[in-house]
Amino acid sequence: MRRFFAPLLAIGLATAGTAQAEDTLSPLHFQSQGAFGSIDKAAAQRGFLVYQTVCAACHAANALHYRDLEALGLTPDQAAGIAQGVKLADGSTATLDSPFKDPAMPASAFGGALPPDLSSIVAQREHGTRYVYALLTGYTTVPDGVTMLPGHFYNAAFPGGQIAMPPPLRDNAVTYADGTAATQQQQAADVAEFLTWAADPNLSTRHQIGLRAVIFFVFLSVVAIVSKRKIWRESV
Amino acid sequence: MTTELKQSWAGERLPIIGGLCTCLFAPVFKPGSKYFDTLLGLIAITLAFLTFSGAVLAVYYDPWHAFASVQFIDRNVHNGWLVHAYHATGTTALFGLVYLYLFRAMVTRGYRAPGELVWGLGVKLLAVLLLVGWLGFVLTGGAASYWSLFSASNGVLALSGAAGAIGNWFFGGPAGGNALARLVVFHAVLALSALVVVGVLFSARGAVAPKAERGRGVAFFPYYLSQYLAALAVFALIFSVLAFFAPHFGQPRANALPADPLTLPVAVALPWYLLPLAGVAGALPGIWGGILGVVGALAVLAALPWLDRSGPSDAKGGLYSFLTWALALDVLGLGLSCSPLLTLLLTLWYFFHFLVLTPVVTAMEAK
Repeated sequence: MRRFFAPLLAIGLATAGTAQAEDTLSPLHFQSQGAFGSIDKAAAQRGFLVYQTVCAACHAANALHYRDLEALGLTPDQAAGIAQGVKLADGSTATLDSPFKDPAMPASAFGGALPPDLSSIVAQREHGTRYVYALLTGYTTVPDGVTMLPGHFYNAAFPGGQIAMPPPLRDNAVTYADGTAATQQQQAADVAEFLTWAADPNLSTRHQIGLRAVIFFVFLSVVAIVSKRKIWRESV
Repeated sequence: MTTELKQSWAGERLPIIGGLCTCLFAPVFKPGSKYFDTLLGLIAITLAFLTFSGAVLAVYYDPWHAFASVQFIDRNVHNGWLVHAYHATGTTALFGLVYLYLFRAMVTRGYRAPGELVWGLGVKLLAVLLLVGWLGFVLTGGAASYWSLFSASNGVLALSGAAGAIGNWFFGGPAGGNALARLVVFHAVLALSALVVVGVLFSARGAVAPKAERGRGVAFFPYYLSQYLAALAVFALIFSVLAFFAPHFGQPRANALPADPLTLPVAVALPWYLLPLAGVAGALPGIWGGILGVVGALAVLAALPWLDRSGPSDAKGGLYSFLTWALALDVLGLGLSCSPLLTLLLTLWYFFHFLVLTPVVTAMEAK
């Protein structure tokens, strides 16, 4: 079955590749937001590249497994290839069923601030998707009158303004296979979409079923109310 | 004609069928019931729905790894996220229905004789469901759940004498897997006991429901069945909007974080349906103040039929009905209030309404 679908998936990925040419930055918007939002798979794939290259150096995402990447449009072979490229602490390579690797950073490396697990970070923060974007692009010079803690960086989006995470993203830190310019903003937006998927992998399905259910029950409600009135009219 | 034949043939051989046919086809119901009269039926259906979805979740739930097992249900069990969303939204829907049911009984003053027992059972249902709801919230193993369980179990364990012994038996120790392992049992058992309360409530309501005059009644089928189906369809519509577009409605965001005994989240909150009672409990100082607040708030609610001094008269006082709506706003405010002073004032108003205003105003208006 998989072999049969492989060419179809390839076509799907290719079309996803052209769909991404859409500019998500001006104005900034995320396909996953809103009542009928769905995960932008092309953006989430790019976001995974950023996650794997940059974020995963310090952050774990233990609720995710490499097999889950198939939901983003990767083939099982591609996902297995990604897993094989991951070295675990005991020297072995990850498999499809391994959780996203835990780099086991000591909190002391960041002045006592342990890099949090990113699996559900979007669900844990208010307006999580936009928060991740704002945090990753929120590093500025220290305003006058602010005394920084040692080893901290000023970030306008972080509560309190002082964050122990060094600015993680640089322009062109990754090279996108689909040709999208890897600016810092683009990487931040893509990784925000990826983490939105990570926190709620069923978002697209949920909205899809939900829309059908609502349309069905609107129709059913009308029919039920009309028939109730008709039945009662005949009683008197 | 055909139904009567069926009834006589099957009813003679299997009395339960005869009883069912009488329930469905006997024209004994007074016509003209409102859509709101279906609330109790919707409560029973929602409770049964919660029992089934809860049974599915219980298969995969592991109290010793509570948060991880809920994540497993959401991410790795086929349609586990859907069953979880159904269970969470079912809770929201159930409390919405129960609060609405009790408020409607207050507005229509249906709690007065001969409806005292029906009212009392309704309050009992609310009390049982609040406990079941809190236990379910605690079982998710999130950060907010953990710290709620932490303060409840540590508070109770610190009590001396019988109260402490009962608390120790109930929680089995401080917050953690050992407590969750027994609370999961209490969650299920108390939920089933809520089903029993609903059953008794139905029977009590049937006994006091106004009977139709001979020859002027209607049968359940098709008249009230069509009304139930219309109410159920609209309810299912609202339920779907919540379940698919706001599955975490009224749940604290901190619960997306796993419980960590070493980390206290910035904001610890409760799910929306517990907030008014938590407000009352928090307004009074100490653990005994909390217990007194919860028991007192539910006790004055249950005592309403006797606090209402209007007697059998049908007088519908304008002032008292205004006060009832004011009480609804008061309870809403208790849920939303962020300042301790406001919570205290709203708590005082809550008890003032029941213990002073209700007897005085109803007695005044009955004259």
